[in-house]
This record gives sequence, C-alpha cells and structure tokens, in this order.
Amino acid sequence: MITPVQVAVQITVQIVLVVAGAPLLTGMMRQVRARLEGRAGAGVLQPWRDLRKLARKEPITPQGTGWVFRLAPLVAAATVLVVAAVVPLTGTTSPLAGVGDLFAVVALLALGSVALALGGLDTGTAFGGMGASREMTVLALVEPTILMSIFALSVRVGSTNLGAIVTRTAEDPLDVVSPVSLFAAAALAIVTIAETGRIPMDNPATHLELTMIHEAMVLEYAGPDLALIEWASAARLGVLLGLLASLFAPWGIAGVGAGLAAVALAALILVIKVAVLGALLAAGEVFMAKLRLFRVPELLAGSFLMALLAVSASFFLG
Amino acid sequence: MSEGLYVPLLDLGCGAFLLAGVLVLWRRDLMAIVGLFALQGMALAAVVVLLGVHQADAELIAVGVGVGVLRAGLLPYLMRRALAASGEGRETQPLVNVATSLLVAAALAMLAYAVAQPLIRLSPTPATQAVPVALTVLLVGFFVLVTRRRALSQVVGFLLIDNAITATAFLTTSGVPLVVELGVSLDVLLAALVLQVLTTRMRAAFGGTDLDELRELHD
Amino acid sequence: MSLVGWLFAAALALCALAAIGGLVWPRSWVAGAGTVAAGLAAATAGVASVVGSRWSAWLPDVLPLAGVRLSIDPLAGLFMAVTGGVSVCVAVYGIGYARTPGHRLDSRGVQAAVPLFVGAMVLVPAAASVSTLLLAWELMALTSLLLVLAEHRRRAEVGRAGLWYAVMTHLGFAAILAGLALFAAGAAGESFDQLRAAELPPGLRNAVFVVTLAGFTSKAGIVPLHVWLPRAHPEAPSHVSALMSAAMVNMGCYGIVRVGLDLLGGGPAWWWLVVLAAGALSALYGILQAVVTSDLKRLLAYSTTENMGLVLVGVGAAGFFAASRAPALAGLALTAALLHVVNHAGFKTLLFLAAGSVLRATGARDLDALGGLRARMPHTTVLFAIGALCASALPPGNAFVSEWLLLQSLIRVSPLSGVAGAVTMPLAVAVIALSAGLAVATFVKAFGVGFLARPRGVGAERATESPPSMLAGMGLAAVACLALAVVPALALPAVGSAAAVAFPQTPPGLVSGAVTLALAGVRGVLSPLLIAGSLVVALVAVLGTVRLLAARRARRVARLWDCGAGPMSARMEYTATSFAEPLQRVFDDVLAPETDVDVTPARESAYLVERVAFHARVPDRVERRLYAPLLAAVDGVGRSVRGLANGSVHRYLAYGFYALIGMLVVLAVLR
Repeated sequence: MITPVQVAVQITVQIVLVVAGAPLLTGMMRQVRARLEGRAGAGVLQPWRDLRKLARKEPITPQGTGWVFRLAPLVAAATVLVVAAVVPLTGTTSPLAGVGDLFAVVALLALGSVALALGGLDTGTAFGGMGASREMTVLALVEPTILMSIFALSVRVGSTNLGAIVTRTAEDPLDVVSPVSLFAAAALAIVTIAETGRIPMDNPATHLELTMIHEAMVLEYAGPDLALIEWASAARLGVLLGLLASLFAPWGIAGVGAGLAAVALAALILVIKVAVLGALLAAGEVFMAKLRLFRVPELLAGSFLMALLAVSASFFLG
Repeated sequence: MSEGLYVPLLDLGCGAFLLAGVLVLWRRDLMAIVGLFALQGMALAAVVVLLGVHQADAELIAVGVGVGVLRAGLLPYLMRRALAASGEGRETQPLVNVATSLLVAAALAMLAYAVAQPLIRLSPTPATQAVPVALTVLLVGFFVLVTRRRALSQVVGFLLIDNAITATAFLTTSGVPLVVELGVSLDVLLAALVLQVLTTRMRAAFGGTDLDELRELHD
Repeated sequence: MSLVGWLFAAALALCALAAIGGLVWPRSWVAGAGTVAAGLAAATAGVASVVGSRWSAWLPDVLPLAGVRLSIDPLAGLFMAVTGGVSVCVAVYGIGYARTPGHRLDSRGVQAAVPLFVGAMVLVPAAASVSTLLLAWELMALTSLLLVLAEHRRRAEVGRAGLWYAVMTHLGFAAILAGLALFAAGAAGESFDQLRAAELPPGLRNAVFVVTLAGFTSKAGIVPLHVWLPRAHPEAPSHVSALMSAAMVNMGCYGIVRVGLDLLGGGPAWWWLVVLAAGALSALYGILQAVVTSDLKRLLAYSTTENMGLVLVGVGAAGFFAASRAPALAGLALTAALLHVVNHAGFKTLLFLAAGSVLRATGARDLDALGGLRARMPHTTVLFAIGALCASALPPGNAFVSEWLLLQSLIRVSPLSGVAGAVTMPLAVAVIALSAGLAVATFVKAFGVGFLARPRGVGAERATESPPSMLAGMGLAAVACLALAVVPALALPAVGSAAAVAFPQTPPGLVSGAVTLALAGVRGVLSPLLIAGSLVVALVAVLGTVRLLAARRARRVARLWDCGAGPMSARMEYTATSFAEPLQRVFDDVLAPETDVDVTPARESAYLVERVAFHARVPDRVERRLYAPLLAAVDGVGRSVRGLANGSVHRYLAYGFYALIGMLVVLAVLR
C-alpha cells in the first residue's frame, strides 16, 4: 500500500523535477539545435538566466487590459503544476491518482491554453486575436486525436487510469512494439508537437506575424508575467515528453510501494529519457521547415488516422 | 519460432504494411511515395518470411524473399527511373484534398474491419486476424487510383492493391502454390512495365502525365 | 395524496395563480414571484420523487372521454426538477428584465404566458397517458409560441421565426400524435401502464418508434429538424430563450427515453444506432455552425443543438448497450446522458440570461459590435465566464464531468460484442472529441470577443450593469453550475435512479463516491473537487512564488504594441468573424460559406474603384439543401392550384356541392 510519506516524496520529486528541469530542457534543446546548425549556442542555463532577468523587470499592464489578462499566466502555470503532480513520471501509481485520469490531464492542459488565448484576446490587438484564433483552431483539431489515442491505450487495460496503463506496459515490454502502441505513440508525438507549439506546427523562435501562433498570443506580456508564461510553456513540453516516456517506455519507473532509492533512480532515468526525447525533437526541427498554417489540418488529420488505426488495431489484432 | 515472439512480430509487420499504405495518401512528394511503396514491399516480404519460419516451410521463405526482391527492390527501382526521366516531383492537386483523403482512409479502415469479421470467425488465428489490415490497404489503393492525378501515383495505387491481395492470400491460406505466386508476380511486373511505357508515351504526346488530360482523347 | 402529489399540485396551482395575477395586475414582480414559487414547488416535487416517493392519480372528470392520468416516477421527477430549477432562475431574472424600456415585456400577455409555459413543462413529464401527454405537449407548444412572438411588433424577423417555429413544432406534434395513436391502438389502451404491458408485433413497434422519434427530435432540435431553433431562440425574449433552451428541448430527450426505453422496453440495436447517429450528426453540425456564427444568441442556440446531440449519443449508446446485453454499460451511458441534460440546463440558463443582459445593455447581439463589457458590466462578465467555462467542457466546469462519464461508457465497448459496436463507438468518441474541441473555440470566441478588449460598437460603449434581480437570477444559475461542477455527487444519485426507471435490471452503484467518482469494476476515477482544489492550491503557490521572487515594483500601465503608428482604434481588433476564419476555412467543404465582392467602379474610369463591398455569410446548409427545395415545391403546388380559387362565391359553393354529390355517388356504388 502506498503511504502518505511516499505520496509526499513523489509529488515533491516530480514538481521539483518539472519546475527546475523544464527550463534546462529548453536550454538543452536550443543548444542541440545550435550545435547542429554550426553555432556555439548560449548554453544550457540560458533559459534560467532569461527567467531571472524577466522576473526582475517591472510588471507592465498594457492599456485597456483587465483581470483576464493578469490571471492568464497564473492559470497557465497552475494547470501545468497540477498536471505535473498528477501524471505518473517517477512511479507507476501517480501521487494524486484519485484526482483524474488521462482525460482530466488533457483537459487541464487545454484549460491552460484557453487562459492564454483569452489573455491574448483581452489586449484587443490584432496580434493577440490572431494568435488566440490560431491556437484555438489547433486545439480544436487536436482533440479527436488525443481522445482516440487515449481510447487505444485504454482498451488493453480496460481503464483510462494513467497508473494502470503504465503498469501494464511496464509489466509486458513486448507491448511497446505492438502496432497499437506504435500508432498511438506516433499520434501522441504529433499531438505533443502541436500542443507545445514546436516546428512544424509553430516556430517558437519566430516573431513574424504571419507564421506564429503562440508568440503572437503572448506578445503583450512583459516582465514577471512573461517569465511565468515562458516557464509554463517549457514545463508543458517537459511534462508531455515525460508522459510520452512513461506511457511508451516505462522502464525503470518505480513500482507500487517502492522505496525512496527506487524513486530517486526513477527520477534519474526519467531525466535521461526526457533529455533523449528532447534532443531527438530538437534534431528533427533542424531538418524541418514550418508548415503553412493551412497545411496543419493535414498533419492533424494524419495523426487522427494514426490514432483511429491504433484503436482498430487494438480491436482486431487482439 | 516461439508463439510468444511470433504474434508480436507478425502484428508489427502488418502494422508497418498498413502504415506505409496510408502514408501514401499523406505525402505529395512522388519520390517519397515510391519510398513508402518499397517500405511496404519490405513489410510484406517480412510477413511472408515470418509465416514461413513459423510453419517451417522453406518454400514459403523462398517465396517471401522473392516477393521482397520484386516489390522492395525491382519495382521501386523501375519507378524511380521513370520518375527521374519525367522530372515531375509532386502530386500537386489530388482530386480529393489530403486531409479529407486521410479521413476517408480512416472510414475505409473501419469498413474493412467490419467486412473482415466473418472471414476471421472462420479460423481465428493471429494471421487471419490481420486480414483487415490487408483489406484496408486494398481499399486505400483503390482510393489512390480514383483520386490521384499523376500516372505514377496511379501505378502505386495499382501496386498497393496488388500488395494487399498478396497479403490477404498469405494471411488467409498461409501460402499459395509457388507457381501461382510466380505467375502473379510476373503479371504485376508486366503491368508495371506496360504502365511505364504508357507514361512515357503520354508524356511524349501531351507533355505531362495528368490523367485528366486523357479526356481529350475521348472528344 | 403524498408529498410529491401536494407539491406538484401546488406548482400547477401557483402557475395558474401567477398567470391570473399577471393578467389582472401586469407588474413584473407579481407573475415573477408566483413563477418562482411554482418553480420551487416543482423542483422540490421532482427531488422528492427522485428520492423515492412515487405518486400517481387518475382524474376521470377533468377531461371528457379519457380523463387525466398523472404519475411521477424518478425519471419524470428529474425532468421536473430541472424545469423547476430553470424556472426559478428565469423568473427571478424576469422581474428586472421585463421592465426593460422599449421591450414591452411587462404586457399582460407575456406576464401570463410565462407561468403557463412553466406549468405546461411541469405537466409534460407527469403525464401518464397518451391523451394527457399530448395535451400538455400542445399547451407547451402554444404558450412557447406566444412568448416567441412577444416582440413581433418591434422586429419583422420575429414573425418569420414564429412561423418557422409554429410549423416545425406542429409537424413534430403531428408525428408524436400519429406514433402514440398507433401505439395506443395496438395496445388497446392509452394509459402508460397498458402501453408497457402491450405485446406489439415488431413492424408496429418499429413504426411507433421511428415516428415518435421524428417528433421528439424536432422538439430537441436535432439535425435535420433543428431549423426552428437557431431562428426562434435569438428572436424570443432572452429569459424565454433560456426557458426554451434549458428546459423545453429536454422534453424531446425525455420523450425518447420514456417511449423508446420505458414504454417500448428497448428495441433492436438499429433503433439506437439511428439515435446515436442523429445525435453525433447534431453535435458536430451544431457546434460547427456555432463556431462560425457571430450572433451571440444564435451561437447559443446552435450550442443547444450540439448538447442535445451529445445527450442523444448517450441515450443511443445506452439503448445499443442494452440491446447487446451489457446492462452496466447501458446504465452508465444513460446516467451520463441524463447528467448532461442537468448540466446543460444549468449553463445554458446562465448563458442565455447573460446574453439577455448584454442585449438589454447594448442593444446588440452581434459579437462583432460588442467587446469591452469587462469594465462596463463586471458582474455579468464574470457570470458569463462561468457559463462559458462550463459549456466548453473544461475542468472545473460541470459539462466536463458528464462528458467524462459519457466517454468512459463509450470506450468500454467490448470488441467481442459485435462489429457494429466496435465500429460505432470509436467514431462516436471522435465526434464527441471534435465537438468538445470546437466548443472550446466557440466559447473562447463568445467570451473573448464579446466581453474582453475594447468596445467595437456604440451600444457596447454605453453599456451599464444590469439591475440586481437580473444579476440574482444569473447568480443562482451560476451557483448551481459550480455546485454541479465541483460536487457532481449532488446530482448523481438522482440521475442514477432516473436511469434505473429505464433499465430496472441495472446493477446499483455504477458511479459512486462523494468526492471522487469511482466507476464500478474499473479503475477510472475522477475527482472534480480535488481538481478544483489542486488548481486553487497551485494558483496560490504560483502567485506566492511570483510575489516572492519577482520585482516588487508597482505595475506600470503602458501603451499596447502598435508598431509605432499611434494608438490603435477599436476597428483594428480581431472580430468574431476573423476569429472563426481559420476554422471556417478548415471546414470549408462542410459549411459551404458564401462570399461575394461588389466592386463599384468610379464614374470617370472603369479602372478606378470607388467602393468595394464584401459580404460573407455561412448559411445553414441543411436548411438550404433540404428545406428550401421542399418549400419551393409546396409553393409551386400552391401556385398551380391557385386557379381553383378565383374569388367567386358560387364557385366555392359549387365545390361543396360537387363533393357532396361525389360522396353520395361513391356510397351508392359501394353499398
């Protein structure tokens, strides 16, 4: 049985990992890109330096904005924090398993996006509206893929409970190479890219109005607010990559009732897995161009097809 | 080979077979489409070899290798050559746009699954359970034939259908006589050659291989 | 007479009193207070019957021939409670809303019709015989029609919307009448007990189900019978829209559950696949239209079509699972569907009332002319935000809980149960997912464009906050929504016992737990309270960290980024139309939007342009493709027989004469 102490330890470990590690992940990915493009790069710690610099600046309220604009970064950061506590990153029983399942996790992340979109709309600039509109379009189109992937993963287990799915995969490693897993992994990988605004959906490094989604939405934010948003989007990427790692490569994850040493080991392995995934993503981005906005539905339709095939494969291949 | 490894590997092979089939709808780049077709040929060959190993049937293994050489080696090579000669790189304007095609493929997969159920019920082995995969690829191939304009896409659509039929045959009966397989393969090769000649002639006559322009022959 | 009976009778009597009061003394608080009391009585009656006290009565002398049969079981009680709750909020709101200058809503007719409408809606679920049900149904249709037409003197569109509504609702009534008459004829009796006991041949059962389904879906606003809904809801006074959208359309779902699952006792799988398909189609079509429309009330009306579609997906899945012998899943799906009815009633009441406040304050329904209400109507803004959060099925909103339950029931389908389920359920999940995603976009648009940023029109600039009674009505609805969202266990036992009326063999305790919802037999859990709690904790933690670490300087107000070109005007803001443009483009093939560009050249030269006008609209495609040809055909027939009526009295008399002679000849020949 899982003890309260263990729950507390696991929550703390996961939250500390996400809070401290997410900016490092972003820094690492930028560094990988820089090296592959033949640049020296700013170093892995640069995002943390940026955050410190932003946090020290004076908070700015653009004219005509109100409580929605002020609340949006807080909600975005809070949803990521809750998700970081709910998903099983270091142990198969997620610390707050009773709170919700995969559906709840997905909906919480959507809530964060919605908050930022409303913040963008509250400014009343064309940039804010444009970013919000595009973000919501992508969010609406991504939803079927996510739910179908969850469906596919839940068929074998008979539950959408994250801990149950991860346990099952950890116990039966051959499941990972089954078509169900592979199709669902491909679909969820595309979803992760869409949800975190990476190439080829969105370019996190651009500030050109025709191409950007996320950056357009948060254009009016400055100072500590911007620091929160930057941290939240880094943490969202980190949590989603961690979730992918737990769902499709749960090796080394601490089982039920494992001791503190196992949790520490699991945390270390998690860091390595997420770093590898992040490096792969960054390397992929070097070789890819951003898609035109109206090609994005094609990509999402493709990912939906993958997810549907995962569901039907889970039905007919047994 | 142990049952524990056979089923996941078979499923994996069928998964790759299906994936390559539906990805043909996704890509516009003709060279990539040929690559996907080669990948599918490899998956098919792997499935056949796997069946042969499972049944300890040397003839089946030999057929599998032959299938691999033809479908993952020779046919893609011929198509690449035709493509290089034509200089056409992309499927620019399919009759049904790509996003819709992908959704149609999803519907076709469900249809194939529904249709294959009676077949599976006849003998529920791991191999027959993968028949819906082959049927999906068959329907997708037909869909490619209906909606794509470039002659090379048409050839690929035709070959997808053929791959699917071969896969169905091996999955349901666990092996066709060698002679039949040889005959079919030769037919396909012949058809591919004929189509290649045809595309060359078309290009000479019309300066492109957009099949819609064939309508002019009718007028 | 039991407690339920007394409360029910009190509700009807209070409605009648309020109506008379409204006629005699047309002050808005008279009818309002009466309706509040009636609503409270009805809600209490509903709750009491759900808790377990049943009541039935036969009043043979009230009506000639059949008399009136009434019976309140938990299923009826649930719908009655929902209607009562909605009525309370609406009536409180109506006290202030009716005094809106220039709307003439405090006239005798309107004041009397609202309580009558509420009374009819309370009566419908209590009906226990075909004639009583039809009577209550027609009363509900007539009173709502009167209310839809309340403002017909002010706007010409009201009359047209009323005509559509009248025709559609009466065609629906005719279908229900025909279906139930067939049923009663086959069963040799018209009370529900006789109908339940009847053994009908399969052909007749199919006919009864299909015909009544058509009638009930037209009331529920299901595609393709939804066309009255996006016309009537925007044109009716807003509190009436709330009543119709949150309470009346539910009666369509009630009818399907009552007739299909209870009276007919379920049926073959194809019935329920039809219901499921109609629901899925409505969910997608409704939300697609909602996301591209920029009329706030029309958007809400289409969202009603979407939500009723989701309910029917649940009802269809329940019937299907019951037909394929999975009683636990059937019970779960029906519970989810009925919970969604309750949740939808809550947030749709709130949203329509808030839309009414906006309309009252600004005179505009067009989102492209709204904006900036956050500063001018702060309370309404917060209330609408709560409603929008609930409607977009995100945690911590109430629709999230019911959609979660619905998804849980759908993904539990076993591939061994047959091909139909294994193919249908994944598609249904995909449809629910897409409609949930689009609902998020829709309500971000409605809230973000309608209430935030700066005003885009004169009306929005001059807006002022609503009077306290209107805020109180909305506040009640908001409290109900939040309570349902955070502690769904408040409603779940009631919903469960209502579902048990349709499926008596369901194992009890399918969804249990006060804080954490646990499903029977699986590890699927959800705790809305813990989600909301941990969100609050995380918010506080983030806020505390920011306060602690960040610069402790005062916030500075700065100019927006305007590319250095000077302050931006409101015309540069993104509008609702531009917000929805990417989605409209993605779903171009489905929506078939129409655009046209008029270029007026200058007089001096054809190459100089004087004016360019751009028009874009997204017509309702079902209406355009299905109804327009039908209406044109009817019109054509009408025109072609116009020659028969040339105005001569002799001719008309002659028709009667010919008909009489013809009939006599036929009789003479046949006898």
